[in-house]
Amino acid sequence: MFPQDPRTEALPARPLDRRLLRALFLDLLGRPPLRAELERWLGAGLDELLDDVLGSLELRRHWLDEELYFFLLIDNFRPGSERVRAIPEELHEGRLDVRQALHRIALSPSFDLRNPGADTFVTVVMEQICGLRVQRMARELEIGKRIYDGGAGVFLGERGSSQSDIVRIAIESRAAARTFVAREYERYVHVGPPEKELAAWSRAFHRDPRVYLELLRGWLSSDAYRERLARPIPHSNRLFVRSIFVDLLDRPPSAEESEPLREALDGLSDSGPLRSILVRLMLDSGRATLPERAAIDDRPEFVRALFLRLLRRGPRASELATFVAALDDPTCRTETVVLAIVSHPEYQRY
Amino acid sequence: MDAMSHHHDPGRRRFLKASLAVGTLAGAGALSGLQRRACARSAALVAPPERRTRHVVLIAFAGGVRTRETFGTPQNVPNLRAMAEEGVLYPRTRTANLGHFGAALSIFTGVSEARGIRENERGGDPTLFEYLRKHAGLAAGDVWITTSGGAQQVNYSYGLHPDYGREYGANTLDGDGIFNREFEQVLARLGRPREMEADEKALLLRLRASLGSDSDVGGRTGALNDAESAARVEQYILDELTRGTADVRGANAGDAKALRVARNLVALFKPRLTAVVLQNADIAHGSYNGYVEVVRRNDAMIGELWAAVKADPALADSTAFFVLPEFGRDRDLNSRRGLDHGDGSDDLQLVSTVAWGPDFRRGVVVDEAVRTIDVTPTICELFGTDARKAKGKRLGGLLA
Repeated sequence: MFPQDPRTEALPARPLDRRLLRALFLDLLGRPPLRAELERWLGAGLDELLDDVLGSLELRRHWLDEELYFFLLIDNFRPGSERVRAIPEELHEGRLDVRQALHRIALSPSFDLRNPGADTFVTVVMEQICGLRVQRMARELEIGKRIYDGGAGVFLGERGSSQSDIVRIAIESRAAARTFVAREYERYVHVGPPEKELAAWSRAFHRDPRVYLELLRGWLSSDAYRERLARPIPHSNRLFVRSIFVDLLDRPPSAEESEPLREALDGLSDSGPLRSILVRLMLDSGRATLPERAAIDDRPEFVRALFLRLLRRGPRASELATFVAALDDPTCRTETVVLAIVSHPEYQRY
Repeated sequence: MDAMSHHHDPGRRRFLKASLAVGTLAGAGALSGLQRRACARSAALVAPPERRTRHVVLIAFAGGVRTRETFGTPQNVPNLRAMAEEGVLYPRTRTANLGHFGAALSIFTGVSEARGIRENERGGDPTLFEYLRKHAGLAAGDVWITTSGGAQQVNYSYGLHPDYGREYGANTLDGDGIFNREFEQVLARLGRPREMEADEKALLLRLRASLGSDSDVGGRTGALNDAESAARVEQYILDELTRGTADVRGANAGDAKALRVARNLVALFKPRLTAVVLQNADIAHGSYNGYVEVVRRNDAMIGELWAAVKADPALADSTAFFVLPEFGRDRDLNSRRGLDHGDGSDDLQLVSTVAWGPDFRRGVVVDEAVRTIDVTPTICELFGTDARKAKGKRLGGLLA
């Protein structure tokens, strides 16, 4: 249905390996796979996994989280309204499409509170939703501000006379479709979209936003997505928090657990020191079920399993020797070995 | 004070009178009745070799603050007024309504940054922090920013310019993001991390080293902190969590935490540059009275920070302050009896900058128009280097 980027032709079916599986879970669900999911999906087909994940409520919940973060509707501005909270369920049940969901977010009291006043509100709508450079569109901004205040005018080519008209006109515009599709492609594939294909994808999305999941499936099945795996990218703070919960406790955190940690990490230009504190806290809390050093009979095998689980690869010979020697040292704790891996940059990329 | 500057200094009463005039007629030449410092740029900042400034505190009194509510109503800001009486006031500091993020970033880059209001990305220009770390050789622990605005504000730390970047960035701490009740509660549930013995630390470093460096796994630039600096930051965060900062409440709680963290950092680390970015004044969109209250409270907190510096023998005679908003606010109230920012008026585009320090003139009002982007080149000059990509110029009429 959609034109393919030359780099995005569908690949022959290839069994899912650890690296691809982890990347797909992090990109789609914002967390690594749980142990049971690893067992279920390792070696399975990509299509089968996508059938499962793209149809899940968890995908929609993560999508909403990402959208709220994009609009900086986080921390004190996180929407509490039922209408916004219901978005994942309504998307999942097909009662809402993603464009309607964006519309609902932009009409929420939190969005208004986050972007108070005509100048800020109209500027943010133009920039964030339509991808426009407002500094170059002073006249359009002035018209938008007048409409925001209840005056009549033609904004982005459509007539309006209220704040909600500003949102409706923006959301329904071609510019918004293009901006959204480009943003989503970049979020999943981690590179900018190819221009020609973007135009076609945007047109299709503008006509019918329900093509969204089909677009997403194409992007994740593409060569471009596989190529991105060769360039590991750093975990955002949210992904880091959710990853350590899954990898150390084998469960995702609740929002009450993860959001304060994410917010704290977001407050640091170098979140490394605080990330290290959080891992130490989690390991020292005793919640992570790690064997006592003395109880590990086969230390090389333990190290291999740890590397596979946390770094998606086996240890090199020198690494194996160093880690096994550490575990042979009576003063070493298993927690220290795990901390070394989880606080290392390699763990914090995917 | 030398004879020449004494000759031109306004007395306290005259200064106050001038300040009031600024507020009611901002940008309209209202200070004309006062004796002024004529400050041709050619006379500016001829660096004496015996310069005493070793530390700088730069406060972006941001969130959109008009001169009308500061020097135009001096009872709102007794500390800023006192600072100006002992330093230099620039009541005609030109700025642009680039949104809070872009306008505050402009102060730190010395370039007018046209950024999206909610753009959560780093800029392309180097920041003041990068200039000082790269060219003046300051360490990561010497350069800090405390903020109040959440996730977006860590982008002030460093830009994406290929000659600079993360390895020259400042340590940024968002006071409200880190030191809040919810975070404290999560940590309380997990407990404190146990102290690591020296042997365990050495083992940890050995294990990590065996895994290779960041660049081995795709990292492109060096780390902001080296291992020692990172350990100090780690310890500082753990200690600050026990100091009650998370319990700060009130309309300016975010700003108060940023200023309080700055005060603690200054006392503990004595950084060469401490920047603070405030934000809570933006409550003005919906509440003029709330906004004025934030201005008053922030002035009081700035006063505490200033007093702490003056009481510290290691800082008192070697620390300079710069305080300025990123832009002002509209001239007229909106329909909610608040103040937006977008009318293009002088109230919005002309703000007041205060500079105070051991090398600066005292009690001088500089009428000449300057810009918010002039601050970064000025601070670089104080540290003996230059902001080579900045578009601003050094502030005229500053040095004694």
